[in-house]
Amino acid sequence: MIESVLWDDWHVVAELAELQRRGVWHTRLLGVALIVQWDPESGLIRARRAAEDPRSGSARAVEALEVRYGFVWVSLGRPTRPIVEFAECHEPDRLLATAGSVGVAVSGLRAVENFLDLSHLAFVHEGYLGEQPHTEIAPYAVETLADGTLRATGCRVYQPKPSPVESAGFDVDYIYAVLRPYIVVLFKANPVEQSRKDMIALFVQPVTEESCVAHILTCYLPHEIHPPTVRRFQQFIFGQDRPILENQTPKRLPLGARAEASVRADLSSASYRRWLDAAGVRFGAIAASA
Amino acid sequence: MKRWFPVARREELSPRHVVHTQLLSQELAVWRDDAGGINAWENRCPHRGVRLSIGTNTGSELQCRYHGWRFASGSGRCSFIPAHPTQKPASTLRPQVYPVLEHGGHVWVALQPVGADAAEPPPPPPQPADGLSLRSLYVRAPAARIAAALLRGYRLVADQVAPVEQIDEFSLRATLTAGTRGPALQFWLQPMSASATTIHGCLDGTIGPAERLAVLRHHNTQFTLLREESERFG
Repeated sequence: MIESVLWDDWHVVAELAELQRRGVWHTRLLGVALIVQWDPESGLIRARRAAEDPRSGSARAVEALEVRYGFVWVSLGRPTRPIVEFAECHEPDRLLATAGSVGVAVSGLRAVENFLDLSHLAFVHEGYLGEQPHTEIAPYAVETLADGTLRATGCRVYQPKPSPVESAGFDVDYIYAVLRPYIVVLFKANPVEQSRKDMIALFVQPVTEESCVAHILTCYLPHEIHPPTVRRFQQFIFGQDRPILENQTPKRLPLGARAEASVRADLSSASYRRWLDAAGVRFGAIAASA
Repeated sequence: MKRWFPVARREELSPRHVVHTQLLSQELAVWRDDAGGINAWENRCPHRGVRLSIGTNTGSELQCRYHGWRFASGSGRCSFIPAHPTQKPASTLRPQVYPVLEHGGHVWVALQPVGADAAEPPPPPPQPADGLSLRSLYVRAPAARIAAALLRGYRLVADQVAPVEQIDEFSLRATLTAGTRGPALQFWLQPMSASATTIHGCLDGTIGPAERLAVLRHHNTQFTLLREESERFG
């Protein structure tokens, strides 16, 4: 039995453009095999469980299905809350672009944690999102907001090439927010409009406990930004993370405080693990008491 | 299991390299520092679980690929955390370190954790100084099945199948019958997991430089046949 906090929530299962190219999309969510179909005549999208569904043994239609932000979202249960909302996505000058979906052979919770991680930038993304010897991580704050969001503020990293169009390096301010167990978003200072922030969201599709697909949504301010460049840049960056993630053992994320050693720079990650444990998230995790 | 197992040939630990291997399902990162000291560590960074075998051997430390944490040769203690460059890392930050030694032509590891109460196991049996290490071979079969295949005999020289005696669960020896002049071959089985094994071999007896290449090729062929036979019964 998969916990309601995941089962009754919304998850991305396909990029809309990719589904429209193929017509039929076979995937898996929380271990359940799904078939998503797009009908070019009516434009309708339907999803059903593949016959091998262990819960029912039959191919049941997935009733909760929506298209949002260029992705197809479904819920396997009865959704108790709406799909995550981003005010930035409604600003008229924003450039909303999907930046690809990457399969990773690791728990999606490990992928979310990596997205939150500051101190790997100078090593895994050296020359782009960080650089030696600028490796020190200054103190930052993590809090849980009234709506349940886990937020990290005051994060600051020196970046040699912080965006797809930047050539000069500078100190970049970040805010991170974990909105759902498998959904995380970052806001980083825009180099042109200092008062506004570019946004990148990661919608992680839990495929099995030890594999996921990371769907990337970018919501940049329009200065010199072109979707193909954004897509190429994000896929390049994620391509650097993927071999690291796939070499993590165990593949599931341990939630116990002593399972893996943490230092002050890992405040986000340590808080995320406690937050998951408190929320009762088990799929893709190793429980603290285990 | 309280005993030594060969995990690699000495020459596989080349400078600034990290060898990834496995013993009884425990993954190991085995590496040599610039001073010649060897390390056999649990293949997992204590910080975020990334395999240390994809890290960098700096010559005196092993540096993790993920966050650049460095671990000192010998003790395994974390010596530097780049996110906090002015702080001294806690002494408890280290991967699990295992006893390791070079003996004959191989590198040996005991899975008894260093620092544990129990003493190291007794050293591996002596090896001849002039032994010829054969190329090791990974086989998808449990050690017992390979031992059983070996006990049916081993073609020690081109025209003669030698009887094989089992010394213990993981070591065997092929010798030509008494009275016949010729070499003997010591086999060691490295149990990677319950279903996979690496066969190591060392030939004793003097082998001249002229015949060395032909001898190595002969045993390489015999090992390959042994693998095919052992994997066939999957």
